[in-house]
Amino acid sequence: MNRLSKTFSTVTASAVMLVGLITNANAMDVPTIKSTEVMSGLENPWDMAFLPDGTMFYTEKCKGLSVKTTSGDVNKLYGMKDSKGYTNSGNDLFCDGQAGMLGVVPDRNFDKNRTLYVYSTSNKYHGDGCKTNFEKCDGNIVMRFKVSKDLKSVSDRTDIVKDIQYKPFKSNQPFGGPGAHNGGRLRIGPGGYLWVTGGDRHRGVCPQDSKLLCGKVLRIDGDGNAHPDNNPPAGFDKRIYTYGHRNVQGIDFRPSDGRAFTAEHGPWHNDEITALVNGGNAGWDPAEKRGGRGACPDKYCGYEPNQMDAVDPAVRAAYTPMSDTRFEDLMPSAWNNNGFSQGTGSAAFLKGSNWGIYEGRLAAGIMGIAFGDTPAGSRIDMYDLAADGLSIKSVVHMPLGFSKRFRGLVMGPDNALYASTDEGEIYKITAD
Amino acid sequence: MCGDKEAGEARYKKTCINCHGPAGKGAASYPKISGNEISYTTSKLKTYRDGIEIGPNSALMIMMARPLTDEEIVNLAAYLKDAKYK
Repeated sequence: MNRLSKTFSTVTASAVMLVGLITNANAMDVPTIKSTEVMSGLENPWDMAFLPDGTMFYTEKCKGLSVKTTSGDVNKLYGMKDSKGYTNSGNDLFCDGQAGMLGVVPDRNFDKNRTLYVYSTSNKYHGDGCKTNFEKCDGNIVMRFKVSKDLKSVSDRTDIVKDIQYKPFKSNQPFGGPGAHNGGRLRIGPGGYLWVTGGDRHRGVCPQDSKLLCGKVLRIDGDGNAHPDNNPPAGFDKRIYTYGHRNVQGIDFRPSDGRAFTAEHGPWHNDEITALVNGGNAGWDPAEKRGGRGACPDKYCGYEPNQMDAVDPAVRAAYTPMSDTRFEDLMPSAWNNNGFSQGTGSAAFLKGSNWGIYEGRLAAGIMGIAFGDTPAGSRIDMYDLAADGLSIKSVVHMPLGFSKRFRGLVMGPDNALYASTDEGEIYKITAD
Repeated sequence: MCGDKEAGEARYKKTCINCHGPAGKGAASYPKISGNEISYTTSKLKTYRDGIEIGPNSALMIMMARPLTDEEIVNLAAYLKDAKYK
């Protein structure tokens, strides 16, 4: 070998070694993601909530609240109308379509006060309302329970919110059955207050209305009172943190600054991840005869035009936008799923250094749809959000190796991500 | 006409599974459609294919049923009759 080629091969060898080192360093920051099924055979498991020792509460939409203890026992704590095998039940709780027993979260001071919050559909406060789809129908509540020390029962049920609207009858809309757009996620924010997400229950006037709690995100204390710093527009119910939402089923708080981010279902277009602003307007206004629109079927323009057929998502988005820029207090979305709606319904920030480069990113569960020309798209996405919350730097599909309707996402105390699926499983997703 | 279960399963997994879940067990607010007689499922699919509304999600089902052939319908019905998840 002559001197030139010897030099060349030395340089090449060094270069290869250098590249190898760089590649190795990157590889060490990208975690290996694995999943294990921790529960199966459940019926529409909707949400989970953990205690620091790994005790897991969970809800099944048409059945009720249960807990899986650290020793693996499952105790059925609070059932609904017609549920069997529960220690206690509320006969006023029922399910229909998207409505039922939904969100669950423990109080920040659970170790002292044993307090658990649960969102559910209930007929207890229907009163004189709920006779048509075009009037106030109070049909969703937030309950507060005391959980026994042995985790075998709950007691002292107190309904701290009694007046979240519900859709009592089917309407002339796709997915138009009762219980539509029922929101339902509960989470405790960084300040210890309770956040409650809502949906527009297919009533056009809901999201922009000042008093109705449909299409809103609430921030309240453990007795159901408004957070003192809530700042909705004048005349609005003070429990409202943000308004103008379509159907929010995901909310979590960015670890770096505590900012609230929601995951929201779009109407045949534009699912959204949005950074919330105190008093802000998410921009959804499906009422007829507004925003340049005429009359709509059952006074709801949410799926128009041609609501029963496949239409280019961009055309629909122009007619009734998810984030209408005519509102001065609009909170624009950070991500809009490339203009598609595929059922974006849960959100959890990834916590723990075991997540490597994904630590601090927002995971969102996307359930999938596959209508018209929209691909099914069931998956969990991870977003690297911009600091100002107005855009994303990147999105990565979590490499799970399987596809399910991911309905609920929550971080466990073990820094694993737990995901419930409509198919009936709860998965533990680890990163190492 | 006898249905081909395997062909029915293949056709089911193309689109139906996205809403009705694996093996027709139902998911979210979409009903369970497994465990019914072949005549029941065939009749439902043909009704939707004819554009006739039955329940609140008829519009969606009409859209999904329109392109189905008679053969696909009877295959789907045969698959769904005994389909079980896990």
